[in-house]
Amino acid sequence: MSATEPTEQPMAETRSRGLRISKDNWRIVYAFLAAILLFVTGEFVHPGFASLGSIESILTIASFVGLAAAGQTFVILIGGIDLSSPWVLNGAAILMATSSLGQDGRSLYALALTLGMGALAGAANGVGIAFFGAPAVVMTLAMNGIMEGLTLGASSGMTCASCASYAPPIVQAAVHGTFLGVPLALYLWLAVIVIVSFALSFTRFGRNVYAIGNNSLASYLAGVNVRATTVILYMLSGIFSALAGIALVGFGGQASLGMGNPYLFQSIAAVVIGGVYILGGRGHYLGAVAGSVSLVTLVSVLMTVNMPEYGRSIIYGAAILVLLLLYGREQEEA
Amino acid sequence: MQADRNQASLRASRSAHWIGRNIGLLLVFAILAAAIVLYCAIYFVQQNTLPGNFELTSTVNNTMPLAMSGLGQAIVILTRGIDLSVGGIMDFTNALAAIHMQDNPLSMVVWTAVVLGAGALGGLLNGLLVGYGRLQPILVTLATLSIFQGVALRVLPEPGGAIPPRYTAALVNTDQPYALLYVLAAALLWMALRRARIGVALFAVGNDEQSARAHGVDVVRTKVIAYTLSGLLAAAGGLCLAANATAGDATSGNGFTLTSIVAVVLGGISLFGGRGNMIGALAGAFVTTMIVNILFFAHIDPLYQSFYEGLFLIIAVVLGAALGGLLKRGRG
Repeated sequence: MSATEPTEQPMAETRSRGLRISKDNWRIVYAFLAAILLFVTGEFVHPGFASLGSIESILTIASFVGLAAAGQTFVILIGGIDLSSPWVLNGAAILMATSSLGQDGRSLYALALTLGMGALAGAANGVGIAFFGAPAVVMTLAMNGIMEGLTLGASSGMTCASCASYAPPIVQAAVHGTFLGVPLALYLWLAVIVIVSFALSFTRFGRNVYAIGNNSLASYLAGVNVRATTVILYMLSGIFSALAGIALVGFGGQASLGMGNPYLFQSIAAVVIGGVYILGGRGHYLGAVAGSVSLVTLVSVLMTVNMPEYGRSIIYGAAILVLLLLYGREQEEA
Repeated sequence: MQADRNQASLRASRSAHWIGRNIGLLLVFAILAAAIVLYCAIYFVQQNTLPGNFELTSTVNNTMPLAMSGLGQAIVILTRGIDLSVGGIMDFTNALAAIHMQDNPLSMVVWTAVVLGAGALGGLLNGLLVGYGRLQPILVTLATLSIFQGVALRVLPEPGGAIPPRYTAALVNTDQPYALLYVLAAALLWMALRRARIGVALFAVGNDEQSARAHGVDVVRTKVIAYTLSGLLAAAGGLCLAANATAGDATSGNGFTLTSIVAVVLGGISLFGGRGNMIGALAGAFVTTMIVNILFFAHIDPLYQSFYEGLFLIIAVVLGAALGGLLKRGRG
C-alpha cells in the first residue's frame, strides 16, 4: 500500500490552519489503523492470518469493494448516493461473460460494451437527478430495479445459452495473474487510486466536485456547470460499478445472479468508514480505500472464527452504527 | 355585481387551491382508475368475462403487505426521512410469526402483539438513532437493514414454519375481500391522526425543522414516533406477508424496501417532506399491484417485473415534479 499518504492534500490545507493533518484526514489515518488492528486481531485468533499470502488475498477482495466505492465516493462527495450499483455490477458481470462467450478475441469488444452499459446506466441516473429533479435515492433505486429486471429478463433468469460462459481467459488472467509477486488486480486498483486521487486533489474537476458538495447554488453562481458535473459523476459511478463487475467475473470465472447485492452495503460502508461526509463536500477516496480494506479484513476475521452469515450481517450493521455515532453526527442546530 | 364576482373568483381560487394541494392524491386515484379499466379490458379480451370476486380478493390480499409498509414509509418520508430497513423488519417479523404462531386464538393474539411490538421496537431503534443520534436516516436504516436481515436469518434459516389457516382467514380472507376493511381502518386512523397534535407535528417537521422547533414542536420526539410507526406498520405488513404465504421466509420482505418507496412516490407524497396525503400511499400500493396484474395478463415475462416497477417509479417522480412546477407557475 504505497499510495496511501493521506497527509498531502491541498483540500486539507485550506481547513487545517497550520496543522499538517486535518480532522478529515485523521479519519483516513484511523481507517488504516483500524485495518492494521484487525490484521493483528486476526493473527491473534488465527495464526497465519497476517501472512503475506493471506494479506494479498484480502487486499484482492478489498479491491473489488474499493472499485465500487470509487464510484460511490464521487457521488457522495456531491451529497448524492448511488443505490443502483448492485445490479449495474451484476449486469456488467453477466454481460461481460455472455458477450465475450469466453473467447479472448471478443474480450475487447465485451469490455467496451460492458463499460458502455455502466456509463449509460450512470448517465441516465445523472440526467434524471440533474435535469428532472428526481431525488438521488429514488432515481438510483429505480435504476437498480430497471437493471435487475433487464438482467433477469434478458438472461431468462440465467438460463440463456450463453449464460454459462466463462470470462475470457485473458480477463481471468488479468485478475489472477501476478507481477513481481503481487496480484494484477492490485495494480489495477493502485492505478484507480492514483487516478481518482489525482483527479480529486489536483484538477479543476476535483475542485468543482468539492464546491458542489459544499454548496451547489454558490458553485453554480461561481460558474461551475453543476448539471454537467453531476451527470459525469453518476456516469463515473456506473463505470466503476461495471469495472467492479468485470473484475469480479474475472476473479470468479463465472457470473451469477445476486452477486452484486453485497456491494451496495459494502461500498457505502467503506466510504463512511473512510470519513467521507454523507452530505457531501468533505472526504477523500483514500479514506474509502482504507474503509474497503478494514471492512474486508473485518469480514475475513469473522469468517476465520466461523461466524455464520446472520452474525456477520448483524455485526456489519452494528459496526457501521458505532462508526456513525463516533463521527457521523450532524452538528446540533442552535 | 362586484361582490358576486369577488365571491365567484374567491370560490374558484379556493377550489384551485384545494386541487393544487391535493393534486398528488387526485392523480394517484386517476392512475388507479385507469389501471383498473385497463386491467378489466385485458382480462375481458382474454377471458371473455369481467374479473370477479376472486380477482378482487386476491388483488386486495396481495396488496396488503405493501399497503401497510407503504403507509409506514410515507410517514417517515413526511418528516423528510427515509426508511430502508422496512424490508428487513418485514423479513424478521414474518419469520417470527411463522415460527411461533399456534392454531389457537390466544396464541394468535399474543403473537400478533409480540410481532407488532418487535417491529415497533426495530422502528424505535431507527428513530432513536436518527432523532437523538442526529445521524443520516439513509445510513442508519441501511445499517439496521443489515442487522434486521441478520436477525431474520437467525430466526428462520430456511423458509418454513406455518401460519394457522384461521389466522390467514382473519387477516387476508381468501374468499371475500374483507382485508379492505383494514385498509379502510388505516385510512380513517390516518385522518384522525392528521388532525391530532402529532399529525401537525409530522407535517411541521417535514416542512421546516427549525421553524417547527421554534413553534414548540418536539422535533426529536416526532421523528422517533414516525420511525416507530413505520416499524409497527412494516410488522403489520410482515404479518400479512406470512398470512398470504401461510409460511415464513427470512428474505421475502427484501423487495418491500423498493416497492414501499414506489407506493409513496406514486401516491403523490413529496420526497422532500412535509407534503402529501398518506391515503395516497395506500392508493399507490394498489396501483403497484395492478401494474403487476396487468403485466401478468399482458404476458410479459415476470422476470422483467422490477424493470417495470423501476420505470414507473421514474415516470412518477419526473411527472410529479413537472406537474408541481407547472402548477406553481400557473398560480404565479
